[in-house]
Amino acid sequence: MPAPVIELLNVRKSFAMPGGETVNVLDIESFAVAQGEHCALEGQSGSGKSTLLNVISGIMRPDSGKVIIDSMDVARLDEARRDRVRADTLGLVFQQFNLLPGFTALENVLVAMAFGSARPNKARATALLAAVGLADRLHHKPSALSIGQQQRVAVARSLANRPRAILADEPTASIDAMHQQQVIDLLRTTCTEQGVALVVVTHAPEVAGQFPRRVRLEDFNRAAIHPVKEARA
Amino acid sequence: MSLLGIAWRNIRQRLLTSSLTSLSLALGVALVVATLVTGGLVQKAFESGSGLGYNMIVGAKGSPLQLVLNSVYFISKPIENIPWPVYQAFLPASKRSDGVDGRFAASTQAAVPICMGDYFRGFRVVGTNAAMFDRLTSGDGQPFLFMSGGNLQDSEFFDGVLGATVAAQTGLKVGDPFAPTHGADDGKVHDPFTVKGILARTNTPIDRGVFVNMEGFYLQDGHAKPVESVEGDGHATLENAADPAAAAPAARYDHDAHHKPLPEAQREVTAILLATASLPGLPAELTAMGLRTAINEGSDAQAALPIAEIRQLLDLFVRPLELLLLFVTAMVVVVSAIGILVSMVGSSLERSRDVAIMRALGARRFHVLTTVLIEAVLLAVGGGVAGWVLGHLLVGGVGPWITTHAGVSASVFSASPAEALLVPFLIVLAIVAALLPAIAAYRTDVARWLQGPG
Repeated sequence: MPAPVIELLNVRKSFAMPGGETVNVLDIESFAVAQGEHCALEGQSGSGKSTLLNVISGIMRPDSGKVIIDSMDVARLDEARRDRVRADTLGLVFQQFNLLPGFTALENVLVAMAFGSARPNKARATALLAAVGLADRLHHKPSALSIGQQQRVAVARSLANRPRAILADEPTASIDAMHQQQVIDLLRTTCTEQGVALVVVTHAPEVAGQFPRRVRLEDFNRAAIHPVKEARA
Repeated sequence: MSLLGIAWRNIRQRLLTSSLTSLSLALGVALVVATLVTGGLVQKAFESGSGLGYNMIVGAKGSPLQLVLNSVYFISKPIENIPWPVYQAFLPASKRSDGVDGRFAASTQAAVPICMGDYFRGFRVVGTNAAMFDRLTSGDGQPFLFMSGGNLQDSEFFDGVLGATVAAQTGLKVGDPFAPTHGADDGKVHDPFTVKGILARTNTPIDRGVFVNMEGFYLQDGHAKPVESVEGDGHATLENAADPAAAAPAARYDHDAHHKPLPEAQREVTAILLATASLPGLPAELTAMGLRTAINEGSDAQAALPIAEIRQLLDLFVRPLELLLLFVTAMVVVVSAIGILVSMVGSSLERSRDVAIMRALGARRFHVLTTVLIEAVLLAVGGGVAGWVLGHLLVGGVGPWITTHAGVSASVFSASPAEALLVPFLIVLAIVAALLPAIAAYRTDVARWLQGPG
């Protein structure tokens, strides 16, 4: 089995509530995604999916445990270095696409390149957009694109810095049924072509069913099975 | 895409707000530029009176500043006239009817009499003689140049010379007649004079003057001093007025064909523009100081130093006023800079989402902080440059008016050295104003802003 690109070991994450209680959201003994592996992650609302993605991407730091991305434990890195790892190693695709509204499709991809280690490369950004079928929409702003086209820009953007893995948070939830399959196909095809690992969080069984690996969050996150509220010390 | 490109894109995204913010800044900067430039011009206008080839003015007792303002700048009213013997005291034997050197002749390099009180279409009429343009200089130490015609001739009593602004505004040409009015513009109309020459522009108050031969000036109604008053106690303080030639027309004055000169006893002058000479073995300053003391000790006249008076006026009045005006306009700029803050805080909700997206893409906090600051600096530089251009256009627009009324040339290209500090000042101001929204962007909670349903 290839070496994991993402590996979580004994990761715990909890949040302090306004009432003074602490809510455990993540309690994961072990979870790994191998290089080039495609994985569908299912889970009920409130099972900690978003927190998990935030911890993997370094936006949040776990309370304890190891979060190894491309052989580097990002849980031990300071914020600036986590940002750098995120820019260089991971691509993110959101349910709401989260394109920058004032920027064209091409600029949205170039902005992502601006924060990585490599120099922004207009030719590559253009090629990525062409690869997702938007060669004739390079200079359109998100408001001038259809929902499906916007998500395709988001997919192209996630590939901007040649990531090792793409984390997609419900990428089809805001898209009509006709375009859902296109987005999943696009993600899987491009990730396969570029050897990129893919983790797709989804509610939709018809989406999850297409992935060679299908895991439920409740299967490895103990906090999702028994959410525990603890009084604050 | 660089941070500069991202900041520029953010500005374009909020084009209306950004434009209005920059516009308010531009208006503030335009005011500051106009204030700085016109302040500099006012100073230049006053300083232009300091290189006219004389270093002292002798006039009636009273305010020395009023004497200087009236004699050099043709503003304010003349204090009083001084007796003719006071003027004679500065003349050498060759120019006096009694053939004796005046008391101060040795300390005098040039003494130019001026007589005031008449007007021509709003411009001051100055009775003087040819020495005005032969012996004095045009502001920067250069001799006077005539655009057309030539200087007054002592023998031509009704000749006149016009300053460049007067000629431009009245349209008078050499050979044209013009009639001054007595005391004010609506006063009694005097006999006409003929334009003998038109001076080249000097950018000094001379440009606004109408200069006529004082012999012709004396012959106008109301300009001769009543004889009775001479016969009182006489004017013996500075010069012995009991001069046998005093009451009769002086033989040494050139007559023109049709007019007899006014007797000396009936003559007065408003002021004397004096270039002091240096006495052998004494520095020029000491001669001037001694002369000034001697004149001021007498009861008929005072001597004022124009440069000292103007410096005092600038230091005590003009500069503080300029500073006050500058402070007020600077406040306008500060308020405009607060506009940057308001505009950025106003768009912070929208910005928070963008910042969160950029952070998710790997932007460091430093990147978002810098982007916001760059955005503010771009707004400030844009507004600053637009305001700078606008300010100069404003000065250019009122330039002709300033040139006419202040005697200094003002154009779009008139500049003040302090302008160089404007843009750096604005940049610092913009950075300070943008710190709050920049810090807010820096502290944006990425997870909160990215969280979708589920």
